[in-house]
Amino acid sequence: MNWAAFLSNYIFAFIVLNVMLGLMAYMTYFERKVLAAMQDRVGPKRTGPFGLLQPIADGIKLLAKEDIVPKNADRLVFLVAPLLSFVLAPLSAAVIPFGGTVTVFGQEVNLYVADINVAVLYVLALGGMGVYGIILGGYASANRYSLLGALRSAAQVISYEIVLGLSLVGVFILSGTLSLVQILEAQQQPLSFGGVQVPNWYILSQPLGFVLFLIAAVAETNRAPFDLPEAESELIGGFHTEYSGFRFSFFFLAEYINMIAVSLLAATLFLGGTDGPIADGVWWLAAKAALFLFFYIWLRTTLPRFRYDQLMGLAWKVLLPLALINIALTGLIRLWGLGLL
Amino acid sequence: MSAEVLVFDILGAIAVLAAAGVVLARNPVHSALALVVSFVNVAAIYVILRAEFLAAAQIIVYTGAILVLVLFVIMLVDPDNLPEFHGGRPVQRLLALILGLALLGEVMAAILTRTIVGQPGPWSPQAVAAVGGNTQALGRVLYSGYVLPIQVTAVLLLAATIGALVLARPDTPRVRALVRDTATISLAHPRGSEMANGVEPALPALAAGQLKLEAGERTLVMAKSGDDFLDQPVWGERHQS
Repeated sequence: MNWAAFLSNYIFAFIVLNVMLGLMAYMTYFERKVLAAMQDRVGPKRTGPFGLLQPIADGIKLLAKEDIVPKNADRLVFLVAPLLSFVLAPLSAAVIPFGGTVTVFGQEVNLYVADINVAVLYVLALGGMGVYGIILGGYASANRYSLLGALRSAAQVISYEIVLGLSLVGVFILSGTLSLVQILEAQQQPLSFGGVQVPNWYILSQPLGFVLFLIAAVAETNRAPFDLPEAESELIGGFHTEYSGFRFSFFFLAEYINMIAVSLLAATLFLGGTDGPIADGVWWLAAKAALFLFFYIWLRTTLPRFRYDQLMGLAWKVLLPLALINIALTGLIRLWGLGLL
Repeated sequence: MSAEVLVFDILGAIAVLAAAGVVLARNPVHSALALVVSFVNVAAIYVILRAEFLAAAQIIVYTGAILVLVLFVIMLVDPDNLPEFHGGRPVQRLLALILGLALLGEVMAAILTRTIVGQPGPWSPQAVAAVGGNTQALGRVLYSGYVLPIQVTAVLLLAATIGALVLARPDTPRVRALVRDTATISLAHPRGSEMANGVEPALPALAAGQLKLEAGERTLVMAKSGDDFLDQPVWGERHQS
């Protein structure tokens, strides 16, 4: 076993994990600032310069609060559920390629934690596991609002996971691989049409797949306008009604980490990841992911929440058929169309 | 003992313990959770065997979808209302014990006598690497030699879906129409024109209300106050008995 490579991989994973956790804290700051700007307010500005210490103050506040367990709660499940959500959330960053290979102290370091040959399926599997945190948290609270939130979440995640998976099939058909590193490499080869160089980003060849992925990803992360599991106007707090202190913050943090991870995934799958017009590098990935994160917040300020039946109708009657059509079209083009070009 | 064998032993032990937990747990939700743990450990064993696709499919399909649906149903059932969940039905238990022991005996016999040692097929590690990995190899095998079974499975699942839709549909067109146009009861209330002269009129009697649509055979619950509703069991409520 190559211990140096193992160690360098481990250190890189450690860095990625900590960067994700730090970003997540400042994601809340970014969200509050953008929300404030869109609603003609100022947002946090008192704590530190430009309010930059606000996330830290929030974190200390949440950690210092009392951890309440309801009397009728299923105690063990209640205690474990938020941990499950939180532990699974940053794992999907492990397969995101942040660049190629660089040499540090004479040692080749891969700028990704793991190049799994089923990387995209791995991310989908993590999403499928992550919903357990919400379902179990809602069930264990012994509260009807929580249970309703959990049930909504179960139905919503199952419906939209199908759309999420199928929207990516077009990308697999074009790239011929499930590995994110190889999908990124495929996008880095520019296409040329009669001398005009066009980046081979899959958003250009898979526009429908991209839109479907974007919608399903917002639903998977339980963000507005698909935040029915925690719809505060109907369900108080939904699945996390009974949670307080740091257990609540685990759910909260998991949601933000999921947003960041999904944005990184979308940037890698459809926007060419670290590929850019000049000076390829991780900054392009960061810029593209920031674009998606801004889009998330933009959606939240703009759109009202879906009604529950509309949510299900959208997934099964609109998005699913569109995803299947996209797969069929992409398959046909892959079979015959590429020869015509 | 190599590291792989050690990891396999740990994963296998957890999977078996969790499987025992499925049967032994007294709360059905805990049973389902134990099954989740067991499935995840089995998926990890697939990863050791270099069957990454199978592992991901196991998690996505079984853990991420089927067990979520199982939990969905279990959470709506009150465990106290399941008298036959534990105990009772001695014949069934005896039969289950005998069949279980028979299955265990069969499997043990097959393992101990080494009669189920398979022959290595055409897909050696080199052949798998040549087509680009085990996902690609699996795809090639499934969509060349096994196209017909896959199509048959798909048709079977479609039939099951249609069957579920038919079962979930209300029986007759008449009932269906009634479910769609739910009967509304218009409770008597003062009209706007009566409010116009500034005097708030007295509420009309409840009897002045009308049933807007034919209600068919559906029972209508008329409640005078909120307490009337509370006499009926509310969904998800524990019964005191």
